Amino acid sequence: MPDMKSHAISTVSGDDTHVRHGDHTDTIESVDLVFRAQRKLSFTYGAVFFAVTLAIPAASVWWEGWYAVPIWGGFTANYLVVSLLYYIFLWTMAWTYSKQADKLDEELMHMADAITATETAKEA
Amino acid sequence: MNTIAIVLVIGLIVFTIALSIFSRRFTRTTADFYLAGRKVGSFSNASAISGDYLSAASFLGVAGAVYASGLDGVWYAAGFAGGFMVVVLFIASALRRFGEYTVADFAFGRFGSNRIRLITVIAVLLTSLFYMAPQMFGAGTTWQVLVGKGFFGMDPYTTGVVMVAAIIAFYVAVGGMKGTTLNQIFQFWWLWFAMFLVVVFAFGSGFSYPDALKEASSAPIVNTKQLTVAELTTENATGVTPMEQAEAIMTADEFAKVEEFVESGAEGKIPVALPSGNKLHELRDQLFAEPGHRYNAFDQFSMVLALVLGTAGLPHILNRYYTNPSGAAARRSTFWVLVFIGTFYILAPIAGLAGIGFIKDYLAGGETIQAATVHGLLVKPDQVMPMLGEILGGQWLMGVVSAGAFAAMFSTVGGLLIAAASAIGHDVYEKYIDPNATEAKRVAVGKIAVLSFAALALFIGLAIPKYGLDQAYPALIAMMVTWAFSVGASAFVPMLLTGIWWKGTTEKGATAGMLVGLISAISIIFLNILQQLGTVGREGVLGFFGALTFPVLFTFPLGLLTIIIVSKIDGQLPKNVDQIWMRIHGTASERHEKQHGLDKVGSMFGKAK
Repeated sequence: MPDMKSHAISTVSGDDTHVRHGDHTDTIESVDLVFRAQRKLSFTYGAVFFAVTLAIPAASVWWEGWYAVPIWGGFTANYLVVSLLYYIFLWTMAWTYSKQADKLDEELMHMADAITATETAKEA
Repeated sequence: MNTIAIVLVIGLIVFTIALSIFSRRFTRTTADFYLAGRKVGSFSNASAISGDYLSAASFLGVAGAVYASGLDGVWYAAGFAGGFMVVVLFIASALRRFGEYTVADFAFGRFGSNRIRLITVIAVLLTSLFYMAPQMFGAGTTWQVLVGKGFFGMDPYTTGVVMVAAIIAFYVAVGGMKGTTLNQIFQFWWLWFAMFLVVVFAFGSGFSYPDALKEASSAPIVNTKQLTVAELTTENATGVTPMEQAEAIMTADEFAKVEEFVESGAEGKIPVALPSGNKLHELRDQLFAEPGHRYNAFDQFSMVLALVLGTAGLPHILNRYYTNPSGAAARRSTFWVLVFIGTFYILAPIAGLAGIGFIKDYLAGGETIQAATVHGLLVKPDQVMPMLGEILGGQWLMGVVSAGAFAAMFSTVGGLLIAAASAIGHDVYEKYIDPNATEAKRVAVGKIAVLSFAALALFIGLAIPKYGLDQAYPALIAMMVTWAFSVGASAFVPMLLTGIWWKGTTEKGATAGMLVGLISAISIIFLNILQQLGTVGREGVLGFFGALTFPVLFTFPLGLLTIIIVSKIDGQLPKNVDQIWMRIHGTASERHEKQHGLDKVGSMFGKAK
């Protein structure tokens, strides 16, 4: 069952072609649109995240200048990145992703409402 | 006995129990018991998730792993933090939009079969047990250095394990998710503050990060181990005995004690210092700032993958996402989690590194500490945090640190007990045994599940030293937690990723993938344990798989491929797949909630209606 406890004043109904929550409707077309946009955003960020994250052990295995040459006191580039700089990368990624995802949500919500309105008009 | 430290720990325990009793009046329904009524705001939820997540492995284990292994230990911190990126990018908002209570609910809702729900329940329980074990071990070892005494005829280790299991079982059963959430928020900030204080005291005592790193990397890492007479005098593969290796490292006075021990033929074990090899670049010395102390090339990648993928497969963390009021709130929570735990994980390796110099200098000055040492090093690296606290700030700081260690264990085990209770009480009892049970009866079953699982955790905690696991790995707590990550990453993450992002996933595909990931990960972990204990050799197929410290590089793609191949062959999509798809990715519910202001966070302590 869907989570209806948190939708106290919502009337949930629907079938295989649409789901309605109160005044708002999702159709499979509008949801596919939302899905594709979210997938593009998430997988683009995911590709960057995994590329950077796996590049670190790759450099640890194959690049001596990365893991064996001190660049500041006892810090090698490898140690500096894993102990400090990687977190800045994570914070930046998470912040920009959340903002972009929120913005996308807003756009898609308007778009979904517009699609719903058009379909409702057609049915009428 | 460290009186001040013990008083601080008791104060923490009393406060957690009081919080649970306070929140008891607000726990009326199963949604309250398991999900805190879905009314937890981003900041509170981020603090609670951080408390849930930062276990003994993070508080004691990361510093211990860095102390013992240098850069390979630092990776634990970075990987633990990186895992939340996978959660925020691929899992968080979809899981919250889908609703429900547990991961098993998701599996059932997405694929529509009882079979997959029950397999998910089994996987949840196994993952939780893997995660619970190191917390219990941490409880025992911290009690050993803090109190140093056992009660009711038990030794100190056993007393610590029993105390922690009993206290957590009590407060989770009494307070449910609301009490646990409140406790986790408080416990997280306590342990963050404790870690911060240790690092501030270190810098205040003249610690310099780049200089200390240079000093620690000026000579190869030295390992510590406790060995029997037979182990000391048995030649290894290169024809050298550990005793001969120890002689090359230890001072004449230190080695004389080892010789005396061997000549006496005494029972038991003696701590020795041994040289370390570089597993990654075999021709190089193993320096502190370089990789290779623990992991070869395969494990360098596999460990990173285990940590970054494993977070998205931890049931007690995933359950927390259902407590968010909306998908956007779930993302915001995750960002704050990354900030909170990120700052913590920057500090933990500093503490581990600082421990090397401060403990060595302290012992060289003729002082003694409660933990066992050899050659100026701790025999159990996981004890570095409380020992550093004692050296830098006396009993007060040791007390703050020890209370932080117990807070870390309480908060994580609390979350695990809720996850296990959800799996048994909600996923099995409410769905299959008595679907018509009253709310009061359902909550009672949840509490019984909490107590039963706590008893199981207690026995595992007691079994660890009995089977010599504590001597098989240099930083056992962090290592064991990574096994839990490996199991979660292999069993759940392929199912969640494909379930959310690939409409073509079928029930048979998801079930097969989850089973393959779960069984292969657990089998390889046990092979590795048996190899470390000397039961399984290093030759042949078993030897190859047993040598994989972290199986994820092998088991995650295996689980994912199984799902894809079986789904393609099967082709039987759920009949209502479009409806399910709209539930995962649709926004009508959120638009509706926004319109009526239902996406705003209410009070966790509103009266139950």
